[in-house]
Amino acid sequence: MLILQASASENQLLLWGETSTPPTANANPSKRSVVAKKTTGKTKQESRPVAVERSRFAAESQVLAQVIVAEIAHCKPPGDKNRSWLAWLPSNASGALPSSSLLADESSDPGDVQLAPWTIPVLLPTPAQTVDILLACTGRTTWGPGVVIGPTLAYWAEVLRWAGSILARQKYIPGMRPDAGGSGFRACWEPVLTGEDRIRSEQLGRAMPDACRALSIDPSQAPSTAASAILAGVLTTLVDHLVRSSRAVVGKNPKRFASTHDQWLHALRTQDGRMTGDSQELSGLAEQIGKWRRPLELAASAPFRLCLRLDEPSSTSGKDSPSGKDSDRWQMHYLLQAVDDPSLLIPAEAAWTGKGPEAELLARDGFRPREYLLSALGQAASICPRIESSLKSTAPTGFELNATGAHEFLTQRANSLEQAGFGVFLPAWWTRKGTSLRLSARAVVTAPKAPNKSGLSLDELLNFHWQVALGDHVLTLQELKALSKIKTPLVQVKGQWVELDPAEIQAAIAFWKSKGDTAIRARDAVQMALGVAKPPGKLDFAGVEASGWLADLLNQLEGAAGFETLQPPQGFHGALRPYQERGYSWMDFLRRWGLGACLADDMGLGKTVQTLALIQHMWESTPPRERNPTLLICPMSVVGNWKKEAARFTPDLPVMIHHGLERSRDAEFKKRASKHAIVLSSYALLHRDFHQFKHIPWTSMILDEAQNVKNPQTKQAQAARGLKVAHRIALTGTPVENHVGDLWSIMEFLNPGWLGTQAEFKRTFQIPIQAQRDPIMGQQLRRLTGPFILRRVKTDKAIIADLPDKLETKVFCTLTREQASLYAAVVDRTAELIESATGIQRKGIVLATLMKLKQVCNHPAHFLRDQSPLAGRSGKLSRLTEMLEEALYAGDRALVFTQFAEMGFLLKSHLQETFGREILFLHGATPKTDRDRMVELFQNPASDAPPVFILSLKAGGTGLNLTAANHVFHFDRWWNPAVENQATDRAFRIGQTRRVQVHKFVCAGTLEERIDAMIEEKTEVAGTIVDSSEAWLTKLSNTELKALFALREEALAG
Amino acid sequence: MAGRGIWNDADFEPSRPRPAKGGIRSQSKQDFGDTWWARRWIEVLERFDIGARLSRGQSYARNGQVLSIQVETGIVNARVQGSRTKPYEVTIKVKTLSPTDWAKIFRALGRQVLFAAKLLAGEMPRDIEQLFQDAGISLFPTKLWDLTTSCSCDDWSNPCKHTAAIYYLLGEEFDRDPFLLFMLRGLKRDELMAGLGAVCPHSAETVKPVAPPEPLTGEHNRFWGRAGLHFEESSGEVEIPRTSAPQARQLGGFPFWRGETPFLDSLVPIYEAASIRGLEVLLGAENPVEIEKATPELPSPDNA
Repeated sequence: MLILQASASENQLLLWGETSTPPTANANPSKRSVVAKKTTGKTKQESRPVAVERSRFAAESQVLAQVIVAEIAHCKPPGDKNRSWLAWLPSNASGALPSSSLLADESSDPGDVQLAPWTIPVLLPTPAQTVDILLACTGRTTWGPGVVIGPTLAYWAEVLRWAGSILARQKYIPGMRPDAGGSGFRACWEPVLTGEDRIRSEQLGRAMPDACRALSIDPSQAPSTAASAILAGVLTTLVDHLVRSSRAVVGKNPKRFASTHDQWLHALRTQDGRMTGDSQELSGLAEQIGKWRRPLELAASAPFRLCLRLDEPSSTSGKDSPSGKDSDRWQMHYLLQAVDDPSLLIPAEAAWTGKGPEAELLARDGFRPREYLLSALGQAASICPRIESSLKSTAPTGFELNATGAHEFLTQRANSLEQAGFGVFLPAWWTRKGTSLRLSARAVVTAPKAPNKSGLSLDELLNFHWQVALGDHVLTLQELKALSKIKTPLVQVKGQWVELDPAEIQAAIAFWKSKGDTAIRARDAVQMALGVAKPPGKLDFAGVEASGWLADLLNQLEGAAGFETLQPPQGFHGALRPYQERGYSWMDFLRRWGLGACLADDMGLGKTVQTLALIQHMWESTPPRERNPTLLICPMSVVGNWKKEAARFTPDLPVMIHHGLERSRDAEFKKRASKHAIVLSSYALLHRDFHQFKHIPWTSMILDEAQNVKNPQTKQAQAARGLKVAHRIALTGTPVENHVGDLWSIMEFLNPGWLGTQAEFKRTFQIPIQAQRDPIMGQQLRRLTGPFILRRVKTDKAIIADLPDKLETKVFCTLTREQASLYAAVVDRTAELIESATGIQRKGIVLATLMKLKQVCNHPAHFLRDQSPLAGRSGKLSRLTEMLEEALYAGDRALVFTQFAEMGFLLKSHLQETFGREILFLHGATPKTDRDRMVELFQNPASDAPPVFILSLKAGGTGLNLTAANHVFHFDRWWNPAVENQATDRAFRIGQTRRVQVHKFVCAGTLEERIDAMIEEKTEVAGTIVDSSEAWLTKLSNTELKALFALREEALAG
Repeated sequence: MAGRGIWNDADFEPSRPRPAKGGIRSQSKQDFGDTWWARRWIEVLERFDIGARLSRGQSYARNGQVLSIQVETGIVNARVQGSRTKPYEVTIKVKTLSPTDWAKIFRALGRQVLFAAKLLAGEMPRDIEQLFQDAGISLFPTKLWDLTTSCSCDDWSNPCKHTAAIYYLLGEEFDRDPFLLFMLRGLKRDELMAGLGAVCPHSAETVKPVAPPEPLTGEHNRFWGRAGLHFEESSGEVEIPRTSAPQARQLGGFPFWRGETPFLDSLVPIYEAASIRGLEVLLGAENPVEIEKATPELPSPDNA
């Protein structure tokens, strides 16, 4: 476990880490000596440098370097020198304390905590490496198992995003600084922190964890540089590097420059910006640059900024006399806004008069309100001439405008003023694109009534024409002409402001006159209705008015009208809950229109059952001779589960698993596949066996855990899109609709071309939504994709009223190859031994075998007790990790029960490394005080409380109240369902307000499955096992035992 | 003044000037001085009938023959590289206004904050000349006795081409910093602002406020930050400016630029490339390749 941290020193970020693994034996000095040395260090009796002990948790720099090189492929190991630094860390008598309980000892109370200096190894990444490292941290919590992105690093990643935004908006200027270490100077690019950036700087300054500035080289005094200064320094380094690297100079440095100005320009593009030469000349230049930048610096350091607020004419006067004078009196006000408290707005009067309580608020150290206001108004005046004319008095506080002036301000000035760093407050009805109500074009598409929908398709041609409308009101030619006579650009229509552009109205009139009927493909009409349309001219698009069957279809797509709810297919065994019926009918409804669907229900709502119902339905409704298989791609860890569920719910559907070295190929594959209803395979094979899959006429293609294809560049995503299949389904438990970047790939799989090419998508949606936070494009994207994504959440009891409060599912897992061979070896060995053994000896062998097989099913490392890495070796562990990831993503908490304390330890370390969060583990040896602390921690509602609680079945199965959990995992099974239920009830009890999902893990094809079957069948045998002992097993005959232990083929899923 | 016209001496100094390195270069593409007040200054020069010296002065200004210009109250000292090894020393003395005159002017200026606001924003208020005139004072030196120029060259003419070069460059500098004109008339920036009531006279330099020290806390959450730290999203929109390098433009170019290429022209390509880079960083590095592909289709900033 490694927690990566980054702290600033001299405007650079130094990388360091905390780890639980002690570096070397002798680097861990006894606790006593650490304290002693620290004390002598603190008394500071001599001036020679005090040797400071190394922090217990500090990670070796080689370890840091390895991690970085592994994460960032093109990154050279940063800072090849072995460097150490001093870090002032919260410490107690036993030494430095770690940042996270992930690294803490089990003991809880730290006692008396004080800051103390410790030596830590650090890496000094170059600015380029810093940028790469921070980029790799955005939006993530770990860099894979065991490498956690610490909060300081996450903080700097956010600062990098800000630097990116400053670059994009060009809010920086060139400058020059004395070189830190040397005598020369450095040319540099520096952010201009005015306006919004000033406010952002205040916010981020306050949010900075102290650890970001805890480095120093002075062991006698803790660093105390203000967060804002540290932030500004690092931000400048990042901006400077990003600008430099985006257009670096090539070739050698010229030996001589014609002037220092040329030298400066050159140095602004070199890697280090260093400038050497006549120091007097250079300092002269630095001074000159300083003078040049002075106006900006004045603005950047002012604690207030100029704001302009535009007030529309008061509505009362407008109502009485629409043409009266009052209705055309708009008012602009000058205000001063406090940078550290944007809600504090002070009218300009206070600055001019310098009197009154508001003027007192302006009195801050060094701020000269009058001078600031004058210079700000002077600058604003050059952007907006109306401001200039307002300044012809002694104390201007604003000005009055008419509608034309207001319109001009809204359209031409407001944005420039904002970009220049001034605040602008506009009426709420004004958007980036003008008034929210405006002239628009509406498409009218006529389709015939169709009582019977069979035979209709989206390829049908329909009749269509355009209409011109204002809001909901369709305009006649007369009305348009009347509007064209109004001379002001802003008019109030029925109490709402409308922007009227004469050219736009003329265009609309021309358009109105020329319009005729044309034809449109139904598919295009649907797309148009969902928002993808460009009406001719400059008119806005106001949607589609559809009639006939198209109207019905659109209503259904947009959820305004219900679609036909299907009965569960005949061959479907088991019952579908009402919401599952709707889900399955919805998928089928889209399918009949040739549209793909993404079912994104919460985990546990039965995506599998709904999908199986759909496949069964497709199978039944096709004549036997025309039947073709459905290709179902899923992660390896759920192949077994699919097979089990299909056998249970759709036993008539032949399922084929395409997996393993012996899988069929070419003609044989084709032949086999054609005999099955479902062909199950994995993402890895989707790519590798693409050419096998290509030749099958699939009925449908289904991606389970479709987030696997969210990155369109990956091979599996390309393969998924590359197969030509008439109908597709994507299943996922993560809310794809919230991640703009991920949407394209999944939609492109479902409905190719629907969101345009990837580049188009990026331009139209991703950049406006992510970079410009354009709410309109966000809405449009949701409208466009909404009809194809169905997500129900467990918490929505209105929709899923029929779900019980406790939901039990079995999770069938597969064995990995390693597990299978271990399993087989144990079984073989037992068979040998048991033949010759008798009595107590035989009993012992049977019980030991039972134990070993359970361990193998859990994890090879559990059985072998080796210290090797855990990931990828156990089907159960993979599945648990995947399911927990989904649950944690939704903010849920989970209990994980195991009967083996050893397995509990393995799980704890694996899950901590994977999620970078503290995972609790309670077992028989946990002291009472720790138990109480863990329960309290887990029940704590704070969002950073430990999300997973592992309990040994014996120690944690009774007594505790853990209602914060709404998932219960039984990682291995106990013979007695009552014991399991008792454990489950830790979460499902009084105080639980949510549904609880119980996931019982079973390795298919192993003795676990057979035990499970016995419990289910409540056979006579199961009756005897209620006494919860396993002794009865020893009474079975050798043949019975062999059958019980045997490894069946499905354990490996094919 | 008229008498000087008889010297038709375009060939008075036939030798070419020695090439000067790193001299001040005019940034103007055509005429010197973009603003009305700069042009008014140059008109004063052009009123002296000195023939071809004007155009030679212009080419001196464009080619960087002027090595230095220093503006003090009422006087300009400059060095110009001519045909001799030793640069010529040029002095332009401007008659300063009397305190009584200034007091009159301040009274008139104080009636509108526009004057102070415009000057602080680096612009000469349009009506200011009229205002001076109404007070019976001229802002620009117009009469012969308002100006004394001298140059160490051998030219008979005064002003000579070296002086003319200084004049042109000063005009350009007035574009950027109208306070210089007041300086020549005897008033420093802060004295002027104080006269206008914008600042107190003694607070000449604004000191950048230094953030007070913030000691570290030992408190766990404050020290380490919380896991899953959420940052307030910045509310600002990210848009690439239509005109590149807006901040440098707002400052109005660079005083007495000596670079071989014009200042803003050199910055524009850097700013443009950096905007794209910034957007990449902002959108995250999940697929840098893909972003690169998409960049040509980004709204590209047009160079106005």
